[in-house]
Amino acid sequence: MAHVSDFLEPSDLQRISSLQVFARQIVEGFTTGLHRSPHKGYSVEFKQHRQYVPGDEIRHIDWRVFARSDRYYIREYEEETNLRSTIVLDRSGSMNYAGSKTGGVTKYEYATRLAACLSYLMVHQADGVGLATFDTDIRRYIPPRSKVSHLRLIIDELEKGKPGGETEMGEVFHNLVPKLHRRGLLIIISDCFGEVAKFLKAMAHFRHAKHEIIVFQIWDRDELEFPFKGWTQFDCLEQAGVKHLLDPVMLRQAYMENLGVFRDELVKGCRRHHIDLVPMCTDESYSKALAAYMTRRLGKA
Amino acid sequence: MNFLNIAMVGGVAALSIPLIIHLFHKSRFKIVPWGAMHLLVAVLRTNQKRIKIEQWILLAVRCAIPAILALMMARPVWQGAKRMLGEEPTSTVVLLDNSYSMEAERAGKTNFSIARDETERLVGELKNGSEAYVFLMGEGRGLLDQSTRDISSVTKSLAKVGSGYGVARVPAALDFVASTLDKMTGNARQVVLMTDFQKVSFPETDEKLINQSLERLKQLRVPPSVTLWDVGVEVKENVAVESLDFTKLMVGVGQKVQIRANIRNFGDTARPDLRVTLKVDGKEKPGTAGSQLSLAARSQGQVLFTHTFDKPGSHFIEIETEADSVKPDNRYLASIPVRDKLSVLLVDGAPGATADDLKSETGFAQIALSPFFSGKVEQADLIQAKAMPVEAVNAKSISESSVVVLANVAKLNDEQMKALETFVKQGGGLLVFTGDRTDAAWWNGPFGKLAPLQLGAMAGDPNAKAEAGSKPGANLAKVASQRFGHPALELFNDPRNGNLNDAEIKAWFRLKPAERSGGPDDPTVLARLDNGDPFLVEKTYGEGRVIACSTTLDSDWNNIPARPSYLPLIQRLCVYLASNVYPPRNLQVGEQLVSFLPADTAGKKATLTLPDTSIVEVPVVKKGERGVVEYPQTQRPGLYKLQAPGGEPVHYVVNAERSESDMTKMSESEIKAFAKTHGLQLVHSAEEFKALDKAQRYGQEIWKLALFILLVLLFGELILQQMFARGRRKV
Repeated sequence: MAHVSDFLEPSDLQRISSLQVFARQIVEGFTTGLHRSPHKGYSVEFKQHRQYVPGDEIRHIDWRVFARSDRYYIREYEEETNLRSTIVLDRSGSMNYAGSKTGGVTKYEYATRLAACLSYLMVHQADGVGLATFDTDIRRYIPPRSKVSHLRLIIDELEKGKPGGETEMGEVFHNLVPKLHRRGLLIIISDCFGEVAKFLKAMAHFRHAKHEIIVFQIWDRDELEFPFKGWTQFDCLEQAGVKHLLDPVMLRQAYMENLGVFRDELVKGCRRHHIDLVPMCTDESYSKALAAYMTRRLGKA
Repeated sequence: MNFLNIAMVGGVAALSIPLIIHLFHKSRFKIVPWGAMHLLVAVLRTNQKRIKIEQWILLAVRCAIPAILALMMARPVWQGAKRMLGEEPTSTVVLLDNSYSMEAERAGKTNFSIARDETERLVGELKNGSEAYVFLMGEGRGLLDQSTRDISSVTKSLAKVGSGYGVARVPAALDFVASTLDKMTGNARQVVLMTDFQKVSFPETDEKLINQSLERLKQLRVPPSVTLWDVGVEVKENVAVESLDFTKLMVGVGQKVQIRANIRNFGDTARPDLRVTLKVDGKEKPGTAGSQLSLAARSQGQVLFTHTFDKPGSHFIEIETEADSVKPDNRYLASIPVRDKLSVLLVDGAPGATADDLKSETGFAQIALSPFFSGKVEQADLIQAKAMPVEAVNAKSISESSVVVLANVAKLNDEQMKALETFVKQGGGLLVFTGDRTDAAWWNGPFGKLAPLQLGAMAGDPNAKAEAGSKPGANLAKVASQRFGHPALELFNDPRNGNLNDAEIKAWFRLKPAERSGGPDDPTVLARLDNGDPFLVEKTYGEGRVIACSTTLDSDWNNIPARPSYLPLIQRLCVYLASNVYPPRNLQVGEQLVSFLPADTAGKKATLTLPDTSIVEVPVVKKGERGVVEYPQTQRPGLYKLQAPGGEPVHYVVNAERSESDMTKMSESEIKAFAKTHGLQLVHSAEEFKALDKAQRYGQEIWKLALFILLVLLFGELILQQMFARGRRKV
């Protein structure tokens, strides 16, 4: 059975464990956790007093305050709840690109490590974490749980999964929405290749269901810089038989422009839907990038 | 369109290099499994057609770059473009006639000095960057080793050039020019033939050769314009010493030598009292006022001089006539080696009672070799003959002689044989006659090394009656009449000097023909009997030579001693054998001067004084067993004095052919006809030449344009590549 340490190096584990994941929105939860809830519950941590209004339960009246002031005040407590997050992992063919420089790490491998990191982190702080893998359809859905044994299940699935097939994010995400019963954090790990409009539409659907979304967009350096020289045949990773023989030098400029347009559309779309879009490149240390993101997230919280 | 460097035109094939590289790269493509295909496909869809066109344009530009470079290096010439005078550098070859006919003088200026001044002016006025080459026709060499752009070096060298050299040969000069022009680089090329148009320089027999040479010039990649430049004035009167004749093969101290000078008057005026003088070793013979000779117009005469040399060694004589304006042919030089006494040892195999007994084997020979001494006449003999019987011969007597004659010797003992072999090996001469005592076993055995041929059976009958006028039969032979090429026998080609074939030979030994190896040591048959048997046979051995005769030296087996030819025959044979192989000392212009020196001088330097009194050092090279001096630059007629290291000076003389002495010039109409026939231009002055030059030059080199195009293409390629890579249509 695979262990989380197969995916994470000790230094990575150490770095991530020192961070706390704070969801910006409050997620409903049953178990006590570190996350603040917008619902004023009946927990141990006092939040504020509120004037009694008819209908409030009498047992919540702070009698000590009544004794001092002869008024009815209700004690309100901050309810701590656990974060329910689902990692949505893209295992389409395009994620299988290994690049010409990065020492054979495919985008998919990178993405699975990232997913493992997040899973570990969340389970470690008793948050629920689930996993959905997809290409043209949802291939596997593991609902969020916070048990340590559940983490193993996720890690097993991460290890088993092999990338292949086309990407069809729009349809897949629409199908995913009903499966997520409670609102929570959606961590999408994908290269987001495909039509931007469809992707954004699916995101909008998630947002409509009040999900918080973080998109880790995985890039290979080659895709960002298009460094090829000399005649090259590009074989499509998603559709067998699609290939193009060309002199990449002649096309680089146009490619870069097209790439810019694509990324720009994506960034603008995500901003519009209050989605955090984090581009990550496979030659960057993913744990470092993750840590940097988390720090920023904390700041916003 | 023409190309100066035609070989580079082939370089245009280099245009295939970019094409090959393109195809190579296209066939050796990398395969990349690609994820972001949606980004690429969108770009491809909008740009594919355009990229294809741009790739074709780039490929065409890249192919054009090496092609244009090759074309540029081939130096194309656009012949359609006329040019202004002096606009571009030229390649000019001047054929300057410095043969001795150019010495003709009028008003204190020789034709040559006029031609030289004009050449200097012509070359000096060439445009910067022009190449010039001056070919001296009389000397048959270039002024400088090769054409040069350093015009000042040409003019400087020109100033040092003189005339008075050999004969100008127009076809040879034109041929030389063709090969020189081919190496020159200028686009505008011209050949100027500056000569006095002497009739002998353009003989009818040369017409075909001149035509061929001119055709060769026309077929050059850049055919030159050929201009004839008629310089100087015609001087008709000229007297020349044509040749000298000597009667003797070798001159000895105290011997009277007869020198016959042949003198010709080429002019139309009679010379009634022409003074001819003889100079010996550069000094006029004391006490002689010279001879007077009367020569009619266009006639020939002879003057006879006698002289007695009183010292051995190398001497030279000079015959000079009264000066006319063409000086080089007024004198004729000859180098004469004078020998001291020549001692000949006659080894007598059948001695008589007394030393001068005619019945002895060597009696006749002794008289024939020293006739003045024997006749008690007070004249010097060159040869001092000494006869001795076989027993008396020893190593000392052999080594003291120049030639040893063995007459009817049965055999020599080992000591004598060894001494004789050493003697011949070191350069001595050996003359062997057979006879009744000749021992065939010894001849073919110990003597075989020296004998030119093996001795066979005896033929004929010694006792047969030899009567005057009797017909030769089986037992009677005669020397076959033939033309002799051998220096010792050449004399008998002239019947006045006696006839070898009127003698009768009663008995002789058959000399067996030897197997020929083809080497230089093979025996040569100098004369044969009329029945085909060899009469005289020669062979070289070491440095020396051996001549064997198949009959006796005295009258036992033949009647040669009673014939007038006996004396010259014996004398000539001895003199020939005594004279080491001298390379000729009387040379023609351009013939190589060669001297043989002792082997120990090899590696040292000999000094050679040239006719203009300048001195050059010539190395002595070891060749075989001797040191050899060779000096091929004998273009200048006159006296060359060679001083070998540790030796006596040796005189060599170089005489020019006398065909130039006929000063008759081609008439103006003949020159014009010649120019017209061969399609050449004719000028008489620098002004005419300039006017002609301006009219006839054409053709523009366009490598600069090609270079410009090349640069444009090079930059264009860079810019296009940048532009094509940048200027994509937006997706």
